[in-house]
Amino acid sequence: MIAFENVTKIYNVKGVKKVILDDASYRFADKKNVALMGHNGAGKSTMMRMVAGIELPTSGRVRRTEKVSWPMGFARGFNGLMTGVENVRFVSRVYGCHTESVLEQVQEFAELGKSLALPIQTYSSGMKARLAFGLSLAISFECYLIDEITAVGDRRFKKKSEQALKDKIKNARVVMISHSEKTIKDYCDCGVFAYGSKLYHYDDVNELLKDYRKFC
Amino acid sequence: MFYSIWLQIRVIAALTLRETRMTFGTSHSGYFWAVFQPIFSVSFLMTLFYLIGRQSPFGTSLALFFATAVLTLELYNKLSVSLMRAFTTNKSLLSYPMIKEPDTLFARLSLIACTFIVINVIFYSGLLVVGLGQLPAHPERLIYAFLTTCLLGFGVGSINAILYQKNQAWQHIEKIFARPLFFLSGVFYIPSTMPPEAIAVLKWNPLLHVVEWTREGFYSNYRSDVLNIAYPLGLGAALVIIAMFAERITRKQRV
Repeated sequence: MIAFENVTKIYNVKGVKKVILDDASYRFADKKNVALMGHNGAGKSTMMRMVAGIELPTSGRVRRTEKVSWPMGFARGFNGLMTGVENVRFVSRVYGCHTESVLEQVQEFAELGKSLALPIQTYSSGMKARLAFGLSLAISFECYLIDEITAVGDRRFKKKSEQALKDKIKNARVVMISHSEKTIKDYCDCGVFAYGSKLYHYDDVNELLKDYRKFC
Repeated sequence: MFYSIWLQIRVIAALTLRETRMTFGTSHSGYFWAVFQPIFSVSFLMTLFYLIGRQSPFGTSLALFFATAVLTLELYNKLSVSLMRAFTTNKSLLSYPMIKEPDTLFARLSLIACTFIVINVIFYSGLLVVGLGQLPAHPERLIYAFLTTCLLGFGVGSINAILYQKNQAWQHIEKIFARPLFFLSGVFYIPSTMPPEAIAVLKWNPLLHVVEWTREGFYSNYRSDVLNIAYPLGLGAALVIIAMFAERITRKQRV
């Protein structure tokens, strides 16, 4: 279960107050793939980070009983001074996974070869993204957070990672931000529309897209 | 409940391993330096004092008398300084929702405490081997004193971490308080033999109490008039409680 309970999120940057959510309560339908839509700057990514537990609401609470991933392709949690192997081991320890089997899967998926034994700071951004993507697939989350990125890497790897993610979410669900109507239709069963600091639920993705076209 | 305790342990264990890796580097010589750097620096200081012909204020071994104070101070300093930067250097870790900021403090505490157990054992055994040491008369008191030093270091270090993240200038202010500790903690003298005016001031230094406690643990006939166990213990516990509350209250401003 993932649910917002009376969540208010306000940013106060250099005296400019920005209300992302104002006392919003919303329960993400269980086991459904949920689309999160809204115009640019509506705070979709912030909401996603709150779902992931990376960011705290200003008031109210976010309840989360399933194992939620970090936003896919997001590689900020890596430590540049540690090697790829060490980072993978650390993350799988924190999530209580079997370290070596996670490592094996990442090795096979990310195709980084010997680079995995080098410090992350020597990686290109593409390599980092591949590692992060492979790692989030290997950990087997119950809910994957997708912020526009459904695939990473070069053309061939993009295909492979897209397919791997699709396989993975047969047994898991996604919460997805996208501006592409095709991707939303491809992945999602229902949706939520962020508008004017409130959240609106749609059982039907087509209805969501209709409103999205009207308001954004 | 049980699960969340297990999760907590798992997270702290993973963080401790990571801290070990970050502090000592990949090479095995990293571990060597972490343990022997304080040992060498204390030994160097002692050699100097031997050369200028100082007599030990208590017992026959100047080295042992020194060590009881200097190693205790080193442990405290290490904790208070290294915990201070725990939040700022570990910011990226907060992308994993189960890692909360206090976990990074606990991880550093357990790593430093373990390192200092090794340092203490090596150092005191070394003194014993070269004939400058002795077996502790009350080993349990040494352990209590060690744990109390950890408590004080953890409390001060955690408060440092919160203040440092609010304002980085705190590191300079903290130094002003930390510097005189070397002179106020009975490194060179027996506090009980000081004039009462001096004791009236010195006894407010909690580290003096743990140094005295350590000495009572080592020497069978060392009686401290200054030592009051309740003071460092109570102060340490109070600091930890304040730090944990302050962390929780200020968490939202930090992330």
